[in-house]
Amino acid sequence: MIALSDINKSYRVGELVLPVLRGITLKVAAGEFVAIMGPSGSGKTTLLNIIGCLDSVDAGSYSLAGEVVDRASDDDLARIRNRHIGFVFQLFNLIPRISALRNVELPMIYSDVSPAERRQRALHALQRMAIADRADHAPSQLSGGQQQRVAIARALVNTPELLVADEPTGSLDSGTGREIMALFGELNRAGTTIVMVTHEEEIAAFASRIIRLRDGIIATDEGG
Amino acid sequence: MLIFFVDRFSLALYALKDNLRRTLLSILGIAIGIAAVMAVGTISKGGNYLIFSELETFGLNSVWVFRDRGDKDPHRRVREGSGIDNDDYQALTGGCCPAVQRISAVVHASFSKRAVIQAINRYSNAQVQGVDVTLTSIANDVVIQGRPFRARDITSRRAVAILGPTAAEDLFGAASAIGREFRIGNRKFTVIGVLEAKSRDFLASIGSSGGQDANNRILIPYTILQQMLGHKQINFLHAEAVTQTQADSAAQQLIAVLKRHNGHNYSYKSETMATYITTTERILNGVAMIGIIAASVSLLVGGMGIMNIMSTSVLERTREIGLRKAVGARRSDILLQFLLEAVVISTLGGLIGLTLGTIASIVLAEVTGFPLAPSLTVIVIALVVSVAVGIISGYLPARRAARLHPVEALRYE
Repeated sequence: MIALSDINKSYRVGELVLPVLRGITLKVAAGEFVAIMGPSGSGKTTLLNIIGCLDSVDAGSYSLAGEVVDRASDDDLARIRNRHIGFVFQLFNLIPRISALRNVELPMIYSDVSPAERRQRALHALQRMAIADRADHAPSQLSGGQQQRVAIARALVNTPELLVADEPTGSLDSGTGREIMALFGELNRAGTTIVMVTHEEEIAAFASRIIRLRDGIIATDEGG
Repeated sequence: MLIFFVDRFSLALYALKDNLRRTLLSILGIAIGIAAVMAVGTISKGGNYLIFSELETFGLNSVWVFRDRGDKDPHRRVREGSGIDNDDYQALTGGCCPAVQRISAVVHASFSKRAVIQAINRYSNAQVQGVDVTLTSIANDVVIQGRPFRARDITSRRAVAILGPTAAEDLFGAASAIGREFRIGNRKFTVIGVLEAKSRDFLASIGSSGGQDANNRILIPYTILQQMLGHKQINFLHAEAVTQTQADSAAQQLIAVLKRHNGHNYSYKSETMATYITTTERILNGVAMIGIIAASVSLLVGGMGIMNIMSTSVLERTREIGLRKAVGARRSDILLQFLLEAVVISTLGGLIGLTLGTIASIVLAEVTGFPLAPSLTVIVIALVVSVAVGIISGYLPARRAARLHPVEALRYE
């Protein structure tokens, strides 16, 4: 599913070049549930962004579902994200002025699905997340947990093979966080590959494999 | 394809509803700009109509030829006379000049002793002109009662007259003048026609009577006037060119014939309506251009308003842009989304401006009585300009949005 080989990535801050990832080699098979952990500055979010095709690499190669993506153009990356990857963020990132339903429809707008099918698939995704009764609510009318359910519905609506989550429970209380992790577990059992960044051991425990980063390299890789 | 645009369009509407108040300000800016441009266009069209409806009453193809009395040659200056006589006129009416459609002699009633114009106990101070049969058609004079001159009236020196409306009123009051008699000096004339009133409001307003009061004239055959005056002089020639563009060649051709006859004694000059029309058009266009430039400033301000709210909008929605990119929006999708928002704002402004401008020109048309309905061209131009303002002022903010890096945009606070 995911094959990273000797990935290097650095950020330029003025004159300084800060290496963030220094030779990451990693394989994730289809159907795995991986948690990436590490102290802040260890490069875990950068690694997740690269896996999610949101960011480019400086050196090394990356293939996702058999497709080499490290040299793909911006528009090709947009298509890959649209078809193959769903995103869940710490701050949900719902568009505030439109309803939950329309938020879930968003990825399908960029894959030219007809309005009727869009609506039907969005409703179905909301049902799966048990939040269909809030379809017409604006995000501001929903609790954090409800917003994250809408965001997961949006991530799933194009039936991606890979779900990428950056601190998905970071803005939720622990009870709600566990509910969201239970949903992740269900999705994973249904076949979706999940890669998740977290700094909470309790949340990481829901994953079947835990990768710990330190200073841009893989320190430990347990489970799997 | 249609679905694609309906989607993008509804996205744009959502965004505008969100920022209604500042959107309205920009819409207003564009609306005022479009309405102002339209009003200027309508007013200049009205001015054109007003001026041309008066110039037309002189005959738009008119050419005047007369002796150049300003010549400084002392050997010529001593000579009396108008420089044109009946022999010259004979030559000019014989098909000498291909650019000339028609020509008429004009003789002034310069009596040595003032000739009173009188009908029983009523008097007129009208200007008497001796003319040929062609004059009324050259000068766009319409005979609304009675008949115009016939060739026989001229050749047989008949004592018949055509009166301007003021002269007819002065001599005969409200009663019909046709067939009535009056005197010029001690010569008796019969009225055969009355002319339609001509408007000179505009020319009067800029301090010109157009040479004479067109409504206070008495036209008689030039032959009988020459007989009364006892000479064979013609004061000037009033000709009609075949077309407006040939007015200059008509004048040159007439002057060439006159020079061949009298070149060693006199020189000649000419005036054409075409010159006046060109001058008038140049002035009107200049005025309209200044007005349109002034009105365009309003459009510019509106466009800057749109650029401003689009820039703010891009900044405020940085995370949204990042998210859209994350879920699969390409650069072109984002560019189009923000361009469409800008175009929707400017087009709404354009439509409102068009409505205001149309109302303004309908009101102006009612007040002035000119046909001032905005043309389809004006409407199309107004809409094209609105869309263009939207695209131009929306482009830079939209491009900035489209080029945002998804990771950085998502991290934006």
